[in-house]
Amino acid sequence: CTEDISQLNIETKRPAAVPAPTLFSNAVKTISGSLASPSVNTNVFRFTVSHWAMSTYQDEAQYDFATRNIPQGWWTSMYRDVIADLRESAKLINADASLLPAEKANKLAIIDIMEVYTYSILVNTFGNIPYSESLNPAILFPKYDDAKTVSTDLINRLNADITKINTSAAGFASAEDLIYKGSVAKWLKFANTLRMKIGMVQADVDANVAKSAVEASDAGAISSAADNGLFTYMAASPNQNPLYVDIVLGGRSDYIAAKDLMDKLLGWNDPRTSAFFTPNNAGVYAGGIVGKGNTYVDFSRAGTKIIDASAPCVLADYVETEFLRAEAKERGFNVAGTAESHYNNAIRASIIYWGGSAADADAYLAQASVAYTTAAGDWKQKIGTQKWIALYNRPYEGWVELRRLDQPKISAPVGAKSGFPTRLTYAANEQTLNGTNYTAAASAIGGDVVTTKLYWDKF
Amino acid sequence: QSRVVTGKVTASEDGTALPGVSVSLKGTSRGVTTTADGSYKISIDNGAALQFSFVGYKPQTISVGSQSTINVVLVADAAELSEVVVTALGLTRTKNSLPYAAQQVKGDELTRVRTGNAFSALSGRVAGLQITQGNAIGGSTNVVIRGNKSLTGNNQALFVVDGVPVDNTNKNTANQQTGRGGYDYGNAAADINPDDIESMTVLKGAAATALYGSRASNGVIMITSKKAKKGLGLTINAGLTVGTIDKSTFATYQNQYGAGYSDPYQKDGFLYFDANGDGTKDLVINTAEDASYGTKFNPALMVYQWDSFDPAGPNYLKAKPYTAALNTPAKFYETAISNNVNVQLDGATDQGTFKLGYTRNDERGTLPNSNVSKNIMNLAGSYNISKKVTASAAANFSVIEGKGRYGSGYSGLNVNQNFRQWYQTNVDILDQKEAYFRNQQNVTWNWSDPSSAAGLKPIYTDNYYWTRYQNYQNDTRSRLFGNAMVNYKAADFLNFMGRVTVDTYNEFQEERIAVGSQGVPAYSRFDRTFQELNYDLMGNFDKEILTGLNLKALAGLNLRKSYIRSISAATNGGLIVPGLYSIANSRGTVSAPTENYNPREVFGVFGGLTFTYKDFLTLDGTIRQDKSSTLPVANNAYLYYAGSASWLFSHHIEDLPWLTSGKLRMNYATVGNDAPWGSIKNVYDKPDPFGSTILFSAPSTQNNPFLKPEQTQSKEIGLEMAFLQNRLGFDFTYYHTNTLDQILPASVSSATGFSSTYVNAGNIENKGFEVSLYASPIKTADFSWNVNVNWTKNSSLVLSLYNDSKNLQLATFQGGVSLNASVGQPYGILQGKTWKYVNGQKLVKSNGRYDVTATTTNNIGNVNPDWIGGINNSFKYKNVTLNFLIDMKRGGSVFSLDQYYGQATGVYPESVVVNDKGNPSRSPVAEGGGVIMPGVLADGSVNTIRVENDYGTFGYAQNPAAAFVYDASYIKLREANIVYSLPSSIVRKLGGVKGVDLSVFGRNLWIIQKYVPYADPEENLSSGNLQGNQSGAYPTTRSIGFNIKLLF
Repeated sequence: CTEDISQLNIETKRPAAVPAPTLFSNAVKTISGSLASPSVNTNVFRFTVSHWAMSTYQDEAQYDFATRNIPQGWWTSMYRDVIADLRESAKLINADASLLPAEKANKLAIIDIMEVYTYSILVNTFGNIPYSESLNPAILFPKYDDAKTVSTDLINRLNADITKINTSAAGFASAEDLIYKGSVAKWLKFANTLRMKIGMVQADVDANVAKSAVEASDAGAISSAADNGLFTYMAASPNQNPLYVDIVLGGRSDYIAAKDLMDKLLGWNDPRTSAFFTPNNAGVYAGGIVGKGNTYVDFSRAGTKIIDASAPCVLADYVETEFLRAEAKERGFNVAGTAESHYNNAIRASIIYWGGSAADADAYLAQASVAYTTAAGDWKQKIGTQKWIALYNRPYEGWVELRRLDQPKISAPVGAKSGFPTRLTYAANEQTLNGTNYTAAASAIGGDVVTTKLYWDKF
Repeated sequence: QSRVVTGKVTASEDGTALPGVSVSLKGTSRGVTTTADGSYKISIDNGAALQFSFVGYKPQTISVGSQSTINVVLVADAAELSEVVVTALGLTRTKNSLPYAAQQVKGDELTRVRTGNAFSALSGRVAGLQITQGNAIGGSTNVVIRGNKSLTGNNQALFVVDGVPVDNTNKNTANQQTGRGGYDYGNAAADINPDDIESMTVLKGAAATALYGSRASNGVIMITSKKAKKGLGLTINAGLTVGTIDKSTFATYQNQYGAGYSDPYQKDGFLYFDANGDGTKDLVINTAEDASYGTKFNPALMVYQWDSFDPAGPNYLKAKPYTAALNTPAKFYETAISNNVNVQLDGATDQGTFKLGYTRNDERGTLPNSNVSKNIMNLAGSYNISKKVTASAAANFSVIEGKGRYGSGYSGLNVNQNFRQWYQTNVDILDQKEAYFRNQQNVTWNWSDPSSAAGLKPIYTDNYYWTRYQNYQNDTRSRLFGNAMVNYKAADFLNFMGRVTVDTYNEFQEERIAVGSQGVPAYSRFDRTFQELNYDLMGNFDKEILTGLNLKALAGLNLRKSYIRSISAATNGGLIVPGLYSIANSRGTVSAPTENYNPREVFGVFGGLTFTYKDFLTLDGTIRQDKSSTLPVANNAYLYYAGSASWLFSHHIEDLPWLTSGKLRMNYATVGNDAPWGSIKNVYDKPDPFGSTILFSAPSTQNNPFLKPEQTQSKEIGLEMAFLQNRLGFDFTYYHTNTLDQILPASVSSATGFSSTYVNAGNIENKGFEVSLYASPIKTADFSWNVNVNWTKNSSLVLSLYNDSKNLQLATFQGGVSLNASVGQPYGILQGKTWKYVNGQKLVKSNGRYDVTATTTNNIGNVNPDWIGGINNSFKYKNVTLNFLIDMKRGGSVFSLDQYYGQATGVYPESVVVNDKGNPSRSPVAEGGGVIMPGVLADGSVNTIRVENDYGTFGYAQNPAAAFVYDASYIKLREANIVYSLPSSIVRKLGGVKGVDLSVFGRNLWIIQKYVPYADPEENLSSGNLQGNQSGAYPTTRSIGFNIKLLF
């Protein structure tokens, strides 16, 4: 009887064993969804970086992150919905004795690259985070690790992954790899760009770490738009771009262009303007003030290119890589080319990505206020400003760069609930569930408030 | 030597004949019943004694002697303590010997006011029982006895009808329960026929319920259905009820300012474009802005409104004076009408009994196009196969059909989301009605952008009539429950019973969003089957084993087999053909339907011994072991027990004329409980595939193969006393329960990769007092007054959670508010943003607005009441009876999302107060307007900063969630009724009719006291553990009805 009774507890409608790659694919889809989403419940960085403003409801634009538990959503999606699936996938691949060693190594390396990618978002959003004790079913209340230690380890892991990847062996199958359709070589480039990025974040506090990471990655990093890491959505439900789902299907008509960005676009006659935004009812482009009520019909809205159902989410691209190279030159790192050429490449690639022509790009770059040699300010201002524009629709990345480069200077929202957020507070759950570790982490970073600067944010 | 005795039995109160009285020869099984005129005829032996017994009357035993005619007057039985009480497993006990708390309510008390749901009528009638009900049609009823014991599990009482456990699952979705939209489909116990209830017994503590096994740890509501009486009886009930909304529970609107968010928009607070094509620009109300912080109304100002853009409407391209709407959304609510017919036929002979009943209840709600109907049939019969063997069976079949149930929570399908939170006071609801009915089109007031053709679509809200008539849901549930039983009376003192009980239902729910709505058109369906079979075998022994010492013993087996099987499917990305509601009509690829199959088996062995010494001392012990399939094999059996004692101390005090009886009782019990289905082993989730890419995901809850049973420990002590021949009495109980080692998905840091993990942890303590009082202050032949008072105070305390964690989030609501179990606090703490304080005063920032915490983890309310109570009065004068019930709750908090948003958007009168200068506060500060928020500045000085009264001033944007947590206390005149029984002198002339009762009744007649503005403090979203949140609250329906009852 005992035997029979236990059978009743076996789940017959959900599997206890699944193919390993399916979990990797899901993790990739989930993180892309988080980065692409315009939901006021999770990803509100479009307002934070002054790319968008709101017509009516200003709370998130005014830096109210707590009411909708935005840090909780961001934190949980990264740990539970992305990293947990990556770990599970790696565990199953490790246990699969039938895989060829080189293919297994490639798959594990690619999974690890995505894990590093996700951890880098966590560490650059919150500061100290659970890392060495995270994702361990036996430790339900993990301690937090120092943010710099985590970042150093992330670079070490990428070093190892890059060494492990064997471009002549197979990786994931085309259908399983939703970013590079199975190209191991492109993952290698993605890893190099990622290493460059994580290294560069530390440039102001530890130039040596940045220098070695960037120099090691330069040659192997993304070298053209063909290497871009894109998660491309589908025209058909339920796999459409989250922007399409929210704005077109959901009928949201209260997101508008922000004045800061629109003024820059209009001031330099930017060829990307019509891709970024649509004109207002009167047929002209106009941006609203962040944090203030704006009559919707009077302002520009998200452009058709980004609210297209099958528009991609960018995880890594040539544009940002070239900006990093330009910056590296300015910081005196030993990379190929000149700062100007990388700066021009980045802007040109961005304009072309958004549908402009080479001639459009040339005309744009020919303006004295854009051209590298004549544009206003130091290299931080030139690169920062252009990168801020080019990171349109990559709001999380835009927020990292704004904090790191401190350029351009954006207007504070009307009715701001705090100073400019240089991090998100920890997930509310951590306070009540993981109190001891939370308290230690909060005090280690200098207080769990949005205006605490992360260790790399020196200026 | 035998001879014949005849006589007549009459009732003491009015002298009328009593038919159906059982007349038996003491010490034999011989007996007859009285006929319709109360007469009887029985043959007896010399020296015999006759016993007369009848339900509701004191039995009498009369030695016959040499008489040949014996007329008997039976006295109505008011003696509470000698009542017979039905206890666990249907065993009957005299109340004198009952060692635990059990309170009985008669069926007619519950059905005097005819509602579709007998359980809502229990509110205020039983100490220790907390009933909460929302105002939606066919909505669920929360039934909790002695507080919430389980952190995350079920805390609802178990319903048992004649020994059949009746499933009372609430399938409302998590989104519905937390106020994010969906429908309240009610709970399944609503299928029980109120008209077939003889009595309900509420068994409150674990000692009383331990024999029922683990499910009964939350208390049991035992329902005894009506029994057939000798002869043939026919009862017909017919009634009609009408209801209207109680305006004190609905929004009141300010009528001075119109649409807008304190924004000048294009000109003077309006859009400014050429609306009528005459080449000049016009003032147009900004239809996209769902608030009323706009320009002051001015009848001289002609503006274009939403209806100026409705080509079919009379105001097309026309301007209207800018004024407040004549008809507010209160006019959206219609008169509710329900009718109720019940026919019961029963009869009994010496050979057996039968009972046949049919009830139809048809209820139309206060919202347009809403209807819930119930058809219930029941059939029961028994047959005495021999003197020793009786076979019986009973079946209840019900069909419930709902259409247009009220949408709930923060959803466009809930019209109140707008009415209470996001509304323009210039919108006339009856204009919206005409606009919809003209062509059945979605003509909303809330055009996205009236200046462009593409913008003539709803931005946030549909026309509410479109919502009700196009985006409705419908559902059915058909159910069968019943039992088949054989009783074998092996000897006078030994009885065996074998029984099979069944409870099974199928339910089907369809939801839809029509093409043309604001939301993505959709259709979804949910099919679910529940089945439970119980196989019971029980032996009962009852004998005086020594002089004065009675032993009752029982032993039994119970095998419970149940399963839930369900499938739900929905369209994706829209519908292709408008008006076609099928999954195949999906515009996008359909997600795989969600299937569930959860079988469960529990095998129980139980026994009990009860010693009663001379009717004044009772010792009772029960023990049960369950083995459940949901637990890991190594830990799947668990034993629990109860011990009780009662002492009728008045037995020793014979010479006190004022003391009728007194009893002291105490008990201790433990009850084990098994795990929720599927909490042992991890399985994967399957999201929709991404094109041809298959996706799986690790689960967010980590299961646990090492779970062990959880345990509730309960202690109880009670005192029952009656005085002055039962004219006055009370029942006092103190109880204390702890639920330990709870099986719960404990929240963990999501850095673990999980949100929660199943563990055995936690300890909730509930302790409290229950008092029932009854009195008959006046009792004369013609007039009597009876009063019943019930009072309950329960204190809950979370003693521990998992490991070091101090908080378990039970749910998150909107507004950054959450419901929590926090260590050191009662179960059910609301947390959210609150004010910052200086010297105990609210801190005002230098901009004149409140300084609000950035954190959402502050305690801002406790959903548990301090106490609950009810006072039931009954006056009887000759043939007229007046009853009324006052129902009270003191304390407990509720968060109102309606006020959180509604006060911000300026729909309520509070937003147009006159300020301290006597000026309209909405006027600019520069013109003497504005308001000063009461509080202090950082230096402790009183705030004198005048701020603009603009969007958000009194609502969420400038105030913390704590500002919208209200005291949910209430005092309600819950029900009142007048019953007139036609005097028997008239009834006799009607021929064939034995009795006629006419009654007028009212329910929710008057909320005497409350503190929640514009809403019913009791209104909730669903039954279950997630209480204390109002979102789009429905107004109370005040109903008045008429009923006629005919007895044949």
